[in-house]
Amino acid sequence: MKVLMVDKEKCTGCHQCELWCGTEIASISKELAQAINETPQPVPRVYVEGKPFALQCRHCEEAPCLDACPNGTMRRDPETGLIYVNEPTCIACWMCVMVCPFGIISPSSSLKVAIKCDRCRNMGYPICAEVCPTGALSLVERKDYRKKKF
Amino acid sequence: MEFIQKKTADNAAEHFLPRAADKGTKLAWDRFEGQLPECGFCESGLSCRDCLQGPCISNPFRDSNKLGVCGKDKDILAVQSLLRLVLKGTMATLDQVGDFVEGVVAKKAKPRDKSAAERIVCEIEALLKGGGASLKKAFPKSLLAAWEEAGILPQGVARDIFKASQKTEGGVAGAEETLLWAFKAALLGAFARKLQGGLKKAVFGAAPAEIALDMGVLKKETATILLYGRFSPILKAKIAEAAAKKKVAVMGVCTDPLLGPYLFSPVTSYGSQELPLMTGAVDLIVVGDQFVNPSLAAIAAEFSVALVPTETLKDQNPDALAKAIVEKAVNAFGFRRTIVRDIPDAKKSALMGLSAADLNMKKIAAALTGGKLKGIAILAGTNNVKFTQDLPFVTLAQEFLKEGILCLSEGDASVSLAKYGFLDPKQREKHCGAGVAELLKSAGQNLPAVIDLGLAENGGVTEFLLALAAASGKSLRELPVLACFAEANRSAEAGEALSLVAMGVSTYFWPCLPVTGSPKTMEALSKLANSTFGAKLIVHTDKKMEPLAKAGLILKVFNRVADPSAGDRPWTEWKK
Repeated sequence: MKVLMVDKEKCTGCHQCELWCGTEIASISKELAQAINETPQPVPRVYVEGKPFALQCRHCEEAPCLDACPNGTMRRDPETGLIYVNEPTCIACWMCVMVCPFGIISPSSSLKVAIKCDRCRNMGYPICAEVCPTGALSLVERKDYRKKKF
Repeated sequence: MEFIQKKTADNAAEHFLPRAADKGTKLAWDRFEGQLPECGFCESGLSCRDCLQGPCISNPFRDSNKLGVCGKDKDILAVQSLLRLVLKGTMATLDQVGDFVEGVVAKKAKPRDKSAAERIVCEIEALLKGGGASLKKAFPKSLLAAWEEAGILPQGVARDIFKASQKTEGGVAGAEETLLWAFKAALLGAFARKLQGGLKKAVFGAAPAEIALDMGVLKKETATILLYGRFSPILKAKIAEAAAKKKVAVMGVCTDPLLGPYLFSPVTSYGSQELPLMTGAVDLIVVGDQFVNPSLAAIAAEFSVALVPTETLKDQNPDALAKAIVEKAVNAFGFRRTIVRDIPDAKKSALMGLSAADLNMKKIAAALTGGKLKGIAILAGTNNVKFTQDLPFVTLAQEFLKEGILCLSEGDASVSLAKYGFLDPKQREKHCGAGVAELLKSAGQNLPAVIDLGLAENGGVTEFLLALAAASGKSLRELPVLACFAEANRSAEAGEALSLVAMGVSTYFWPCLPVTGSPKTMEALSKLANSTFGAKLIVHTDKKMEPLAKAGLILKVFNRVADPSAGDRPWTEWKK
């Protein structure tokens, strides 16, 4: 399974991943200039906060959000292992928001769905990794990821 | 994110692209691709580095960082991004004027019209200190009244540039007031350009001339100097004088091609400025700062071309410097004899440097008000690597001329158009529709399809517009005149666009200015500008628009068909 690796040495906190995730994934128009003016405000799936570090869903192997979801809205793609929200069935109970250890699930009160990173599972390559100017974000096999010493 | 498909429409430039790729020489296009995706915050004008508490951004998708540390919101950030560009652009003009005046005052040039030169030097000094009272006579009263009411009438460098620059520092001026400060700074630049044009006329004369251009003008058997960018015309004249004695050819890139009695053939336009060095037919380059890519130094070193910068810390005596440059070029030619000179077979002729005085303004005004002309388009700007080089200029000119719209151009846009024969009087009929061709036949001597009004910094466009308004008896806001910056790249062009809007000429600007992050600033550029000046600055956010679509969009306005993207247009006023 491939996941996004974040190299904290390379992350400069420039927020480009947030900006382009918000545009390409979260917005309706898919163009920055128009996305800026959309209501409700598009919600990026990646967070750059505190010490420069871009954080998005870790697609945990023992995912608490999967267990907490009362009606099977939070699902794991059996082929890729990626966890995603099946938006039509979400009842906006925010259980997943409460249990996520990374706090990366956004409760969207206007859309009444939980919003989280699905690692751009329907795209060729995650947008955040593609736009990262320093290469702090990259797509790696989870096995290799574990071997990396921090 | 977009990747450009075709780099240039210029065949002479394209000839060198595979060679550069083979050699591993990186050109502007390669570096642009390396920069993608460009910073979205800077592109939308939502970033700020004005103090050391930052850098700050206004994040459009998060509530936690919508405001900068000092409290600047997206509207202020965007309008200040524009202001910063305009300030830099105006200072670029003032820098040139300063160099020119310094040379004239030091009596380094013999003016053709001494009294006019002295008068204009005094006017420039008055402009810098107090806003130039005498110059105000040159502008129509209605314009001056509108400027005075909005508070944007130039009041000298201290009030216009210094004060406006501090708007980026702090204060509580809102988006609209800050925008007016940008207009004020832009107008000072417009005044300075007009005076510089007058000074050039007084010192060097201002006759239009037919001039050969494009890379085919480079010579195989002669030592060749290329002048890059803008620097003191006095030094340019001295170099040409010294070079003529030693039979050294002097040509230019992004520099004023006409400096009576000397002509500097434009070798190429801004976008491909690195390529003449790859021909092997350039022995020495003299470079200023403005319009000069810093990459030239590395490319000159790679192709063994000598390089002399003009804008140095210590003043240099122009006579001695010119002599040294020519001598260095002769020596360079000697040791470069083994280098193959690969000169593309591309040579065009162009009539350049026309002015309102060379044109029958009454006829043009009559054709415009009588409906023989659908409108007048001013094509301005410089190449921008975001677009296929020259394609937007050429497409707009082609489409406009076919549709009965008179096209004017200036500066580097003229060079771009001249490479495709638009400025060659012999090719006039090929490019023009019947209406424009008929007018051009009678409006002046031997006019080409597109009329070049000289360098942007010499204010030829302003002079033309004022003459047009005077000849038609109408104000500019009532006339179907549009400016199109089809591929702009320099800050001076943003300043010029604002000054044209302030004069009542609606202006299309590509690429989008860094204001798209703020709907309020975008609205002020159209609504506030429209109510104050009767014109607006139209910034399109669609990055993928093809040149033909741009032409179609502007043609809709010229054809009095509603332009949905521009909203309430200034045209409704003269449509009645």
